[in-house]
Amino acid sequence: MHRILGITLAALALSFAAAQTLTVWVWDINKPALESTIESFQAMHPGVEVIVEDIGNQNAYDRGLAGCAAGGFGMPDVYLVENNEAEVFWAQFPDCFLDLRELGASDLLPLFPAFKWAELTAGEAIHAIPYDSGPTAIFYRRDLYEQAGIDVNAIETWADFIAAGQAMNAATDGAVKMGTVAKGADDEWFRMLANQADCFYFDDDASQVTVAQSGCVLALETLKDLYDADVLAVGGWVEQIQLIQNSAAASAFFGSWYGGVIQAEAPDQSGLWGVYLTPALEPGGVRASNLGGSALAIPASTAHPELAYDFVVNALADEENQLRILFDYGLTPSLLSLLDSPALDQGVEFFGGQPVWSLILGTLGDVPAVAGTAFFQEAREVMIGVVNTYLDGGFASAQAALDQAARQISQATGLPIAD
Amino acid sequence: MTTTPQRPRRPRLRLAPYLFLAPFLAAFAVFWVWPIAYSFFLSFVNTRVRPWRFDPGFNWGRLINDSAFWDAFGNTMLILAVQVPLMLALAVALAMAFDSDLLRLKGFYRFAFFAPLVLGAVPYSAVFRLIFNADFGVLNYGLATLGLPTVRWLFESTPALVTIMIALTWRWTGYNAIILLSGLQSIPRALYEAARIDGASAWQQFWNITLPLLRPVLLFTFVLSTIGTLQLFTEPWLITNTGPGGATETLVTYLYKQGFRSFNFGYASAIAYAVAITAALFSILQIRLVGGRDNG
Repeated sequence: MHRILGITLAALALSFAAAQTLTVWVWDINKPALESTIESFQAMHPGVEVIVEDIGNQNAYDRGLAGCAAGGFGMPDVYLVENNEAEVFWAQFPDCFLDLRELGASDLLPLFPAFKWAELTAGEAIHAIPYDSGPTAIFYRRDLYEQAGIDVNAIETWADFIAAGQAMNAATDGAVKMGTVAKGADDEWFRMLANQADCFYFDDDASQVTVAQSGCVLALETLKDLYDADVLAVGGWVEQIQLIQNSAAASAFFGSWYGGVIQAEAPDQSGLWGVYLTPALEPGGVRASNLGGSALAIPASTAHPELAYDFVVNALADEENQLRILFDYGLTPSLLSLLDSPALDQGVEFFGGQPVWSLILGTLGDVPAVAGTAFFQEAREVMIGVVNTYLDGGFASAQAALDQAARQISQATGLPIAD
Repeated sequence: MTTTPQRPRRPRLRLAPYLFLAPFLAAFAVFWVWPIAYSFFLSFVNTRVRPWRFDPGFNWGRLINDSAFWDAFGNTMLILAVQVPLMLALAVALAMAFDSDLLRLKGFYRFAFFAPLVLGAVPYSAVFRLIFNADFGVLNYGLATLGLPTVRWLFESTPALVTIMIALTWRWTGYNAIILLSGLQSIPRALYEAARIDGASAWQQFWNITLPLLRPVLLFTFVLSTIGTLQLFTEPWLITNTGPGGATETLVTYLYKQGFRSFNFGYASAIAYAVAITAALFSILQIRLVGGRDNG
């Protein structure tokens, strides 16, 4: 009798516990980063278990799409989504994720920059809360720059960057390059430069193709200048890391999260790295742009929307948690209130004691907003090809290249080309 | 002898065979027939809008005008026209070497040339990326040592396509050689003896005996390689990532991107049917041209 009672109680306890478990799908460094917030979450909700699963970046996207296509079956309680890809979910499966306004997310709007929200909202609905951002910067090797006699304070524009690159070429006989461009493999350089000029594939409500407009033309011309000046090595993600490990690349231009990649891939170069702001396209121009970043969404199929929401808010809108994620895991927070935090002025050992995070986060407010689009992948595929052909001299001008790109993107998406 | 009039036996409907077949037929219907039929229907549906809308000309119209599709088509055809004949010529030579009385350790060599197929596609592709790496790869190191110019294999259009062709040749030549070897071994030795007595040179024997009698097997490998090339995905996806700038985009990598990256299943279905139609046309053409005389 006692035994039966015991079993019943245990079963009850189990079902109670099962009802109080949150599952979170993430990739890579986000697992330890979010796990570090569990303790403070459990202080609010004792007895709630949180399981953070690293299922891989591509896999998260694939399983998310499959789960949404299956009406939310098998989805976790909290889902990490990359900003670039977010709009595909909102457009294809508008009911797959909760509208977080129902849980009070409207209150969070002023806490994060507008450019982050642009990709996470659909109409009035808020589908995800901003997590990390990718404000761009130049990561550079202090020792290699010094050997070539380059002063980073003198690099204010991309023209200055090219001049520095020529000094680097002269000093190393061309063996060390100023950066790595994924020519023909990705169009990241174009997107980062275009974002500086407030230009994107599409306009703000993603209803017209704007890739042939003047800001994008300037960005593409700048990239061609860099490429023709022979200051960049050519290589994809893996090759760039190889160049860095072999000290054949003196700097890297990427979103802020790349600092964490360098730390992980080249730990023996600790102390040799530094950071300076993205050079401007023109004297006095914007020295900020964004590449990448992610957000947390809550699938509509969750049994615990309130708990999931509390977990997300505690992880992403809490200064203490976000500061730890920044300093321990190198993920740049989107939380605006952190910009004034004195904690940001701490030096970072890997970057020679430079307080890099206050420098990088200081640009967040200057990043031009870009609307999300369900057609990101199509437009990107077209641009990878067009940028590659243009760099090879296949177009008479940047304008001609982008006119061609606009036609192709318009054809692939059915959206009209803006005047 | 009395003969009872034998009525023709009416085939009785027996249930048992169908019950035995049922599990297969069910799986076949669900996982083959249904997707094939449904994707045919989907190719006439605009899946760009919600809800999906029946619009027969939408995807097929785009297909005809889509320069990215035709680039992928052109790349695939180029690989087909250059790589497949070269590989099969190599495979014939290899098969004859395997069959030669002069060769020792035949079993070892046959396995060695077949081995690339046993290897997983992902590690093999990763190794090819390393070999063809422009800055640190062993191939460019070798070229430089010989005083030859180095090549950015993976980041320039023509070299990237050549890289894919080399990888394909490395992976599939041995496989085709083994199939061709079985064809060689079915040619009666007496024919060669007779030819030698008549004073035919080795070259004459090859042209007048080996090649004609190998034709059915050669046709088989040709059709298989053609269909394989039309479905080419692994190498461009893993070695060149379809780059640079789509220079190694094939029909199926383009199909995959449309279906699973852009979530445009209607257009992906139209591409799938275009690939299937192309493969069917090629197979018919090859059988007519190469195999027709025997069968007709």
